[in-house]
Amino acid sequence: MSRRLVGTLAVVLALTVAACGKGGDDDSDTAAGGVKTGPGATADTLTLGYLPDLSGVFAPNGKSMMEGAKLYWDAKNEGGGICGRKVELEVQDTGYDPQKAVAAYQQISGDVIGLGLVLGSSITAALLPSVEQDGMFLNFAGWTSDILPNENVAIAGTTYDIEAINAVDFLMREHGIKEGDTIGHLYFEGDYGENALKGSKYAADKHGLKIVEQKITPADTDMTGQVAAFRRAKVKAILFSAAPPQAASLAGIAASQKFDVPIVANGPGWTPQLLDTPAADALAANYYVVSSMAPLGLDADGVKKFLDAYQQTYPKGTPSSNGSLYAYAGAQIADAALTKACEAKNLTRQGVLDALHSLDALDTGGTVAGKLDFSDPSQPPSRLVYIAKVSKDAPGGLEPLGDAQTAADAEDYSF
Amino acid sequence: MSRLPRFALLAAVGVVLAALPIYLESFWLQTGLFAMGAIVAAIGLTLLVGIAGQLSLGHAFFVAVGAYGYAFLAGQDVPDGPAGLGLAPPLALIGAVALAGIAGALFSPISGRVRGIYLGLASIGLVFLGQYILQNATGITGGYEGVAVEPFRLFGFSFSNTDPGDLTILGVPYGRLERLWYVGLVLVAAAVWYGRNLVRSRPGRALAAVRDGEIAAAVMGVDVVRYKAAAFTVSSMYAGLGGVLTALAFGRIVPESFGFLLSVDFLVMIVIGGAGSVGGAAAGAIFVTALPLILNRYSGSLPLLAEPGSGGLGASEFSRFLYGAAIVAVLLFARDGLAGLAHRARRSPEVKERLA
Repeated sequence: MSRRLVGTLAVVLALTVAACGKGGDDDSDTAAGGVKTGPGATADTLTLGYLPDLSGVFAPNGKSMMEGAKLYWDAKNEGGGICGRKVELEVQDTGYDPQKAVAAYQQISGDVIGLGLVLGSSITAALLPSVEQDGMFLNFAGWTSDILPNENVAIAGTTYDIEAINAVDFLMREHGIKEGDTIGHLYFEGDYGENALKGSKYAADKHGLKIVEQKITPADTDMTGQVAAFRRAKVKAILFSAAPPQAASLAGIAASQKFDVPIVANGPGWTPQLLDTPAADALAANYYVVSSMAPLGLDADGVKKFLDAYQQTYPKGTPSSNGSLYAYAGAQIADAALTKACEAKNLTRQGVLDALHSLDALDTGGTVAGKLDFSDPSQPPSRLVYIAKVSKDAPGGLEPLGDAQTAADAEDYSF
Repeated sequence: MSRLPRFALLAAVGVVLAALPIYLESFWLQTGLFAMGAIVAAIGLTLLVGIAGQLSLGHAFFVAVGAYGYAFLAGQDVPDGPAGLGLAPPLALIGAVALAGIAGALFSPISGRVRGIYLGLASIGLVFLGQYILQNATGITGGYEGVAVEPFRLFGFSFSNTDPGDLTILGVPYGRLERLWYVGLVLVAAAVWYGRNLVRSRPGRALAAVRDGEIAAAVMGVDVVRYKAAAFTVSSMYAGLGGVLTALAFGRIVPESFGFLLSVDFLVMIVIGGAGSVGGAAAGAIFVTALPLILNRYSGSLPLLAEPGSGGLGASEFSRFLYGAAIVAVLLFARDGLAGLAHRARRSPEVKERLA
């Protein structure tokens, strides 16, 4: 190594800069047919980024989501795609690790028009500065109202706090809970549980109920202590904002102690696999789910279409409301926004965002409760929920109780 | 090696590293920045474990103190957001490193009392304590939503996409990642320089003496308690500086990034690199940080690995296997890690020459 070598290196570097330095981002241009395109859009393809968790704590759910997404886009592409363009997916695993997610985002961000799915609140939070900078839309696989208001983020349906308000209303209407009663709320530390707790506290304040809180982490799977605490407080019902392992434990232990109270869960508190656990009978007796994602037994066109297609493509798979059905519904939302953007002859990122916010009554055929209104970024697109009861015979283990609905309290609630 | 060629070599490496942002795409810059943050923090751990002989599994905690400390000290106080003091970023950087150092000094009475595997276990507690604080002290940390990290600024020049808004060098737009690259290079260079000097200096030798035998070291006149505390403090400051760099690379930090796995990753880094070697820690940090990201990127084109989303052995699982294999290989064949291998490779021609 000598001075000459350093000199040579410098010259070589200077030369190659001119030859192969990376250029700037290709800016929007107008292709044939007068449609303006930007990154992720060409004359015959549209590329969407997908950032699920395929190897971390939410891997089973992430894999289920990718089934739903593939189902929708494969069918869409077979039918001719979006205004003559095929939709391609750029999938990157985040492993529920913000560092991996940020790197994966940097890798795909130049090639995608938007993000078809991002799983997890903390992952989304870590990505938001870049997503906002790049002006992309982001389908958020989560239902927490803390993310609002945000121009870039689309939520499928309503948020956990509104689900919880509806859950309290349901208990008062159908299970004789009245002023002065005590109800328990078992919830996860973090976005999901704490957002739901906000809703239940709001409803409890309004109706003079007392809430007994039990905060847990996803690592806690034995609910003996929590059941004991609820029994001591003589709760008349339990709100549940945790995951299926805790649901099995809670319902099973409560039943074994003849502690017979209704349990009302948020959407993520249910998976059909729970019916294969020893707690199945206890769940069928007392367990309800309030969610803006349709129970699979719902008699609605969109849901039936999804179920048929799912069973055909994955005969051995288990469809789930907040896994494959969610990603399917998320794809419906992305599809609607992209289609509208194409009609407006503007397939740039800004064009897609504008198109998303111009959707004020998107009908998903029932996969998401209610007509979705994305015009106000400070509000979730809907305040409607489905309420369902666990049933061993219904598809997906959930039998819907009535159609999409919402409580008066939920209408008045402000974030 | 004489002095001049060595200097020329360093200069050449410096020129190449400084020119990289012109060529590399944002994925590589982002990965490189994460690796740089890990290098700085890993040097701190290798000083603590390799030189001073104190096992710590709490390194992620001090990294978090640095990262969140910077975000707090430099952050603007916005209504309904986490609090911030709005200090000038260079001051906030120094403050964050000092905070991490103070946290380390506060823990040092424990590290002075317990040793070996027991110290490792005691320090695990810090990580879980840290996670609890990060999740619940929402006024400063923002809880699960995390907190935005103020871009680094020096003399009015911002290491972000604005101020100046469109900076172009040799036809390449210089955005946040390209600019941050140089902050990272300077911090890593400073960390390596200081670390190497510390190892070779009088305090470094004193620490090694403490590691090899506390009584013997005390007999030689080394103040064992003070040196152990100092080692923990310096190591924590390194962790804090690594945390600041990591925070800048993220742009927004969330508690999940500073969990127990990060502590384990740091240990893997220094074992693979060779405990006690500053260069080895840097190499180990690059290996452990960049490998999963790179495997993830190329999983589509590597024959063994499944595309994300298609089922089968994914890149993340595969990179965990590779770590495992690398650690086993290091422990079996090269107890002194990559640093030891490099050392032997450099030595062997000379040795052969002399023997011939």
